[in-house]
Amino acid sequence: MFNKTATTIFVLIALLGMNTSFAMSHKSTGIVIQDPWVRSAPPNAPALGAFMQIHNNTNQDVKLISAHAKAYGQIQLHRTINDNGMMRMVEQEFMPILANKKLHLKPGSWHIMLINPDRVPSEGEVVALKLLFDNGTSQTVNFKVRKGQMMMKNHQHSK
Amino acid sequence: MSNITKKIISVVLILVVALVITVNSSKDYKDLKQQLKSSLIAHNPDRELALFSLIDHNNNEFSNDHLKGKWTLLMFIYTHCPDVCPTELLNMSSLRTLLLNNKSKIIPEVVAVTFDPIRDTPKVLKTYVSHFNDKFLGVSGDQKQIDKTVRSFGAYYERVVRDENGESVTLQSEDPLPASAVKNGYTINHTAQIYLVSPDGQIFAEFPTPHNIEDMASDINLIVENY
Repeated sequence: MFNKTATTIFVLIALLGMNTSFAMSHKSTGIVIQDPWVRSAPPNAPALGAFMQIHNNTNQDVKLISAHAKAYGQIQLHRTINDNGMMRMVEQEFMPILANKKLHLKPGSWHIMLINPDRVPSEGEVVALKLLFDNGTSQTVNFKVRKGQMMMKNHQHSK
Repeated sequence: MSNITKKIISVVLILVVALVITVNSSKDYKDLKQQLKSSLIAHNPDRELALFSLIDHNNNEFSNDHLKGKWTLLMFIYTHCPDVCPTELLNMSSLRTLLLNNKSKIIPEVVAVTFDPIRDTPKVLKTYVSHFNDKFLGVSGDQKQIDKTVRSFGAYYERVVRDENGESVTLQSEDPLPASAVKNGYTINHTAQIYLVSPDGQIFAEFPTPHNIEDMASDINLIVENY
């Protein structure tokens, strides 16, 4: 009887442990960037938008405080706000990413604005941006240049 | 026929004609309005667009006449816009593809008028707008003519410049742009409706943001059928 209980408890603990390690292997610690991309733009575009999802897998709120790359005159953090039909582009001092949450940078919302590019990158190229956070960490992320996300539910390929 | 009978017949005829005219001119598109998914009918025979004279990206005159005899999707943009305007232009390119794939009766011409002719010359617009679709037409012109056009469509914009301390200052559309702003750069807050102009050269409907292109395509087809 005791043995059986002990075995059950052991198996349970082992399963829990497996679960935890399974979960951990899929949940990287720290700040994780997903789907970083820059919207492809006309060759004479004076400003480009960069987008991504920032996952904060820590128990502390963090702030993205700046982004840096050589080939641009200026890089700013922005948020587009739809104020009763008036689209306002508001420069932000930082982007807040709450503890264990994510911030989605996407068209019409939060975005990084790359101003006065030395040369507008073409579709398929990569733009390396160094991201600085207020917890003292930084990471250099490769943003792939691609067309903007379409808002279409796809009917064209169904035929 | 007696004179009185003749008079009665004339009066009745005049009344019938008046009634027919009234019914036709006050066509209020009630049924159509209920079927539309993402647009608002802006058709108003009592309110015509102001007369404007602008310049398209091939340096041809672009006046009200350009909008007559065909359907047009008209939008206002500026090329220093990093987010909203490229999104709209991409959406319009996808919408055009969708209408072509659906074999829609009408493929409206897409016209993008700049809020910002100081920086967006016809040449700049041609490179910029054609990137999204080579059938699109960019339109620039004199700032006063641009402002008149913007007002007449019911659109609105304001420029955001930086003062000496680096603080943002919002100018109204009629305010002059300080010389330093051109050098230091400025952004523009703006409305982003897309206007559907009917072949009489007047606004028929408008699409408020955000734009779902499938709903837009279905509305455009409905409007053209019921026009």
